Amino acid sequence: MKISKTVSSLMFLPFLLFFILFWMVPFLYGLYVSFHSWTVSGGNNGFVGLDNYIRILSPGNMYHDSFMNALGNTLYFVVISLVPLVVFALLLALLIENIPGKLKVFFRTVFFISYAVSVTAVSAIFKWLFTGNGGYINNVLEGFGLDSIGWLNNQPYAWIAVLAATVWWTIGYNMILFVNALDEVDASLYEAASLDGANAWERFWNVTFPSIKGVFVFVTIITVIASFNLYGQTLLITEGGPARSTMSLTMIIQNTIFSQNNLGMGSAMAILMGIIMVFITLVQFLIGFRKDDNA
Amino acid sequence: MKQTKTQKVILVIIASIISLIFIFPLFWMFFTSFKGMAESISSARLLPRNWTTGNFVELFTVDAASAPIIRWLFNTAFISIGGTLLVIVTNTLAAYSIARLNLPAKRLFMFIIVASMTVPGIVIVFPRYFNFRDMGLLDTFAPLILPYAASTLGVFLIYSFLRNFPRDLEEAAYIDGANQLQILRHVVFPSIKPVIATLSVITFILIYNDFLWPLLVTNSAEMRTVTVGIANLVQGANFVNPGKMMASTLIATVPALLIFIFANRYFVKGVNSTGLK
Repeated sequence: MKISKTVSSLMFLPFLLFFILFWMVPFLYGLYVSFHSWTVSGGNNGFVGLDNYIRILSPGNMYHDSFMNALGNTLYFVVISLVPLVVFALLLALLIENIPGKLKVFFRTVFFISYAVSVTAVSAIFKWLFTGNGGYINNVLEGFGLDSIGWLNNQPYAWIAVLAATVWWTIGYNMILFVNALDEVDASLYEAASLDGANAWERFWNVTFPSIKGVFVFVTIITVIASFNLYGQTLLITEGGPARSTMSLTMIIQNTIFSQNNLGMGSAMAILMGIIMVFITLVQFLIGFRKDDNA
Repeated sequence: MKQTKTQKVILVIIASIISLIFIFPLFWMFFTSFKGMAESISSARLLPRNWTTGNFVELFTVDAASAPIIRWLFNTAFISIGGTLLVIVTNTLAAYSIARLNLPAKRLFMFIIVASMTVPGIVIVFPRYFNFRDMGLLDTFAPLILPYAASTLGVFLIYSFLRNFPRDLEEAAYIDGANQLQILRHVVFPSIKPVIATLSVITFILIYNDFLWPLLVTNSAEMRTVTVGIANLVQGANFVNPGKMMASTLIATVPALLIFIFANRYFVKGVNSTGLK
């Protein structure tokens, strides 16, 4: 087929325009701003090189303190959310896989349905379930004659509320990824394992898990990325509290830009957060594949 | 794997108990929306003692100006559908051009597309807000729809699909005298429908669920999306009446739940093909 370069380019052009305008330009703009002293109200106050980055990374100023506090909080959430969102999702998928026909579709839909609820509706529901004064859970506790708990004003309870909301909201998504992967495992492998007298755990560990390992690594990676982007739940349910202990990186970047009026610093924080995320993803990727080679 | 009847019954019972936990927050939202304020902040009962539609009435009368939920639903539907269509059209054209046509520097473009997918969204979102501010386009539909078309995921998905797809039919159509657009419309598009369906579902959910971006670029009550509008009701001085809060959450959530239940098959497939969250 002889196709003119003009026709080919014209077809690519609409996407290219959108990509340049809404990805490339903001990307380069953010990078450019991060090397400048730049306020939201006053604009560019001159080139400062790596100063913004250096201040974020060296102790003794408020930008360092807020960034490191938020990084610690975010990493903490990534860690505590990993087992519920990945391992429990896999357990749910295994449970569903062993349930016959129509019931399987029913339970799959029920476990996945909360994903259709938006983050703000999820937060609204969980905030009213957990809130200290007039919240439903405390009403139930008091109904049983127990002491109510200041869920959103004390740790670890505030994290429990955020974690519960997040797990309820997104575990179904990971579960579906696992269900789809389990559906593709070669059934003859199970029969062979059964003939060898393998018990349920041996079948899982020697047949199922190796077959879905790629998906397991993938789910782990996307879960870490999603947890790193923690924003709506902590903005709405805990409002960053108590004592800034649930301030996430995205919240602190937004604060730095809009409340502290420091776009240059906020842009540098966003780029640092991006670099950290890419680095962590890369490490998971490498670990996931190296294990594959040994297997 | 053979299971005994008893084992199956036990598994179904376990799944049923877990289902109740999953469904409980939705039930609580539903029943609380029919409780009056005094009851909703003090009662440990799930079902209302006194059923009332007062919360809904208030939402559509007293709060109609500050919290126009129906308008929010319209905005969300409009930008989700509009954004999805825009993504499908631009991404299909671009992927077709890279995979099949004579696009100059296509390898460079493909490299940029894949490289851009590794850059986390947080790096883009704030500078993009200031770009729109400088163009004077905040609080319009433009920032709510147009940026999604810069998504490279769809180009990548369609390109990968086309690369593994035989081009015999397209060549036959070409010999018959069809031009590239006709071939795309009548030959290629029908065969890439599965990946288009998947991409549509993913893009729709992404736009529908987006929170930080529409929060940044909208100011007025009537330009809010459902997600952002509800957020305003959760924060600060509005956080007083769970009954009314749940009434608005219920109205905001029911359309999505219905779409989700009816299109469940596509959602399940959609999740399978990417890892977008």
